[in-house]
Amino acid sequence: MSENRRYDVIVAGAGHNGLTAAAYLARAALKVVVVEKNDWIGGAAVSRSLHEGWTYSNCSYVCSLLRREVARDLDLPKYGLQVIPYEGGGSFTRGGDYFAYYSDHNALRREMARHSPRDADAYHRYSQAIMRQCRFIRPFLLRDAPDPASIRPRDLGELGYLVKKAWGLGKRELGETLRFWTMSIGDLLDEHFENDLIKAHLAGSGIIGTGLGVYSPGTAYVLLHHYMGDIDGGIGAWGFARGGMGAISAAIAAALKDHGGTIHTGSGVSEILTRDGRVTGVALEDGTEFHAPVVASNMDVKRTFLKHVAPNALPDEFRRAVERFKIRGSSAKLNIALDRFPAFPAAPDHASFIRGDMHVSESLWELERAYDDWKVGRWSERPYIDMLIPSQIDPTMAPAGAHMMTVFVQYAPYDLEVGGIRSGENWTEDQRKAMAETVLGQIEVACPDIRDRILHMEVRSPLELENEVGLTEGNIFQGELTFDQLFFNRPLPGYSQYDSPIRGLYLCGSSAHPGGGVMGAPGANAARTILRREASGKKLRGYAA
Amino acid sequence: MSRFDAIVIGAGINGLAAAATLARAGKSVCVLEQAAAPGGMATLRLDDGPELAPLLWNLSPVVLKAFNIDPATLGLGAPLPAVALDPGGAHIVLRGGWATSLSGETHADGPAFQRLHGQLVTYGALLRRLAEAPPPGGGTLLSQPGLAQLLRLSRLGLDLKRMGKPEMRRFLQVLLSNAYDLILDEMPDGPLAGLLAADAVRGNATGPRSPGSVFTLIYRMGHGGEVRRPEGGMPNLIRRLDEALQKTGCTIRTGTPVARIILEDDRVTGVETKGGEIIEAPRVLSSLGPKSVLGLTGAEAFDIEAARRIRHLRTRGTVAKVNLRLTAPRVPGLPDDLSAARLVYAPSADYVEAAFTPSKYGSLSEAPVIEATCVAAPDGRPWLSANVQYAPADLDGGWDDAACDRLRQITLDTLARALPDLPGAVEELQVIPPTRIAAETGAAGGHWHHAELALDQIFALRPGNGMGRYAMGPRGLYLCGASTHPGGDVMGLAGRNAAAAVLEGWV
Repeated sequence: MSENRRYDVIVAGAGHNGLTAAAYLARAALKVVVVEKNDWIGGAAVSRSLHEGWTYSNCSYVCSLLRREVARDLDLPKYGLQVIPYEGGGSFTRGGDYFAYYSDHNALRREMARHSPRDADAYHRYSQAIMRQCRFIRPFLLRDAPDPASIRPRDLGELGYLVKKAWGLGKRELGETLRFWTMSIGDLLDEHFENDLIKAHLAGSGIIGTGLGVYSPGTAYVLLHHYMGDIDGGIGAWGFARGGMGAISAAIAAALKDHGGTIHTGSGVSEILTRDGRVTGVALEDGTEFHAPVVASNMDVKRTFLKHVAPNALPDEFRRAVERFKIRGSSAKLNIALDRFPAFPAAPDHASFIRGDMHVSESLWELERAYDDWKVGRWSERPYIDMLIPSQIDPTMAPAGAHMMTVFVQYAPYDLEVGGIRSGENWTEDQRKAMAETVLGQIEVACPDIRDRILHMEVRSPLELENEVGLTEGNIFQGELTFDQLFFNRPLPGYSQYDSPIRGLYLCGSSAHPGGGVMGAPGANAARTILRREASGKKLRGYAA
Repeated sequence: MSRFDAIVIGAGINGLAAAATLARAGKSVCVLEQAAAPGGMATLRLDDGPELAPLLWNLSPVVLKAFNIDPATLGLGAPLPAVALDPGGAHIVLRGGWATSLSGETHADGPAFQRLHGQLVTYGALLRRLAEAPPPGGGTLLSQPGLAQLLRLSRLGLDLKRMGKPEMRRFLQVLLSNAYDLILDEMPDGPLAGLLAADAVRGNATGPRSPGSVFTLIYRMGHGGEVRRPEGGMPNLIRRLDEALQKTGCTIRTGTPVARIILEDDRVTGVETKGGEIIEAPRVLSSLGPKSVLGLTGAEAFDIEAARRIRHLRTRGTVAKVNLRLTAPRVPGLPDDLSAARLVYAPSADYVEAAFTPSKYGSLSEAPVIEATCVAAPDGRPWLSANVQYAPADLDGGWDDAACDRLRQITLDTLARALPDLPGAVEELQVIPPTRIAAETGAAGGHWHHAELALDQIFALRPGNGMGRYAMGPRGLYLCGASTHPGGDVMGLAGRNAAAAVLEGWV
């Protein structure tokens, strides 16, 4: 065993969270290596050139949740990260109308009033309610989730902080918060709005990435999960990373390297090595072994413990709990290279909202039916699509005059049903083509000439997401965002603080609190935990504690 | 004109429990009931049919104490076995948490079922502590009610700790999750899983895959998960409660619908009956839900926010009652010792979810979930009393005769899949759609719990934020029905808790 394969910490997986954790640890002067199975880094925050001249953000595609504390600590702008907010969005109808969402308050008010004057008034109340919930939740994202069964001072302290914040809301607002956390986005919108199209437009964020319908309790929280980010202080704003989402990973990786960390690509972890209940390193698929007293896994909890840890190294109860963890694929993706800008005949010329996220769902019930299809193992007959053309704002994404379109598709099951059998293996080339046809049919509602514009199209079912990125069942959040898998229950009760039954083995991916999205919070939190627990004393060489 | 300390509108179990609690505290109480007899949903009957709710799950001993009745003298009957009906005829019999085949052999999934059942009963006992008192929030921290609440919560905390770390963590994990996953993590899908999934959603407009269905499943197990048929049926039970209440000097007037609640200076002063009589009291407790109360006071009695919350209360009933009169008091196809069992037709958890799907869009389930029990009507004739879910109150096209006929046929066809000889033994069928239940009992939407028992409509948020402590709107106006904490199920706790909250603030 050569000395140069000994490290303080090994991070398994170069997703944005793995890179974040590694960068924080390297910054604390630890000797860190990140190992990645693919030849490229970034996990699901990646920019890839699959068609000459075009860049696809082929998994995650827009940015808002990246914690500004992370960007600041790692000095990401210095390493080239630029996030440009987009201005709005819209929903098109089959009848040739549209609802445009503008970030400008007055423009939005006027557009809402065009559809329903009452809803224009209600929006004020609605957005205030959402904003209050965002303010409440944001401080918890970069803190540990306390274990309610523990009486360690740290857990009691965090629990005390939670109680203090909750108490500070006051009786009425606390009630509203509890309601908000437990209700469905459909019911929440029904309480505020009357117009179907407006409701459908706002509901999308409540279902993206989850195996829940708009009327399933808990989806209001999912909406919050998409709103709690910010761009330059604009809470809830979304934007494009210049150069695609890979620019985020690239910036974090640059910070990591600057602090002395290394990245080893091209060979994934085959086994996480343990001895006597303690982690000792990792063995890669190509046979290389890296050794370290601490391993942080960026892989989801199922993949980490069921595929890469010897079964006898784990307590049975823990293994069972991991097996019960819910991680269901519910979304697909189309990445399209366009020869020129497609026509949006319903929208006014040069409409600014075309630069944002566009949809074609017309009512909450249409969205709920899309969920019903998914439940029985089919992709939605009329899927919810979240469609953007980032090349309008970021010219690096496509050659001059040409454009790149990203289409997120909800719902598409991982375990597709064919002939009564549900399995991820059913995602054959033909099935993917058939799904792409369905989605193109939806896109045509907004741009009828889309088929003539396509130069190249990448179709990603949940199976591709699993195989390529390594997300189990292609779940974009590394685990459902339901109550039983959030906060102190994420990923498992008793293990919400990034640790595991194996000493020195930590989770630093989105399976851990506070969950998915290109946020960096799980990575940063895991790094903090590792420094606190492992770098004190003389176990590791770094200076931080 | 007459004067009382308090008027209770509605003589359902909760109205009676509220009146009994107040009367026991020495208050003069008048109960006004629109129907000819007390009992509400528990005793509602069509023609000579059986009562609407023939079984007891959760009648609370705390409530019986308010009536000063010893449960032992009440003739609550023995716990009934349950039968998970199987379309292939391999029915599963459940006694306690133990699952066997008809011939008595232990079912393959029996041990898993027993473990899960036991776990749910333990969790149910925990939640019961919360159900037996008004939600926290009354009085200041150091007042007497405030301290009592603190004590209760600390006890709950202690109970949790006593479960041990792994169980406590598991409880906090599953409490808000969905029943479908909870069940199928423990056993393969089949009639046993279907039975639990059906119990999780009964009465609600939700499916087993919706988060929150574990809570309702646990809630159902609040008093041990046993189901009983009181001797002489529910009318007999209600009669006993009625008699006990009368002994306290409480006035009960049946056939007296209330026309309006009289307000002066934002205070309740009494009610006016439909007959034009005015009955005075500084406090009115209504077993009706908040929407109906709004109709009795006029919306102007509430501020905009409260009125909005009341309007948005979800009260969509999804259960229809279908009564099948049988030729003999036994269920064809089942042995005689199971003739009084609770039969559940829900062959799998997936089946229950599939039954839920059309109801979201206002359609009948073509393959519904059915819970049925063979009971005797007061005239002694045998009926199979069935709850058919999902049959939404807001059915597309409305509940006309054709819709009722359709439901009749669906019910017979569905039961015949597991009990092929049943249709031949049926002499007559009654259908009571949710709209009819709503009209006869005043329960909005004909909903079993008067309002959806969902996570955002429970505890201090039931029926709405700011109304969780039973008081609403003008001073002296209270809710005491199933739309308040802890909900329906012929438990009586909502009425008893409401009265307790009223007494806390009595001046």
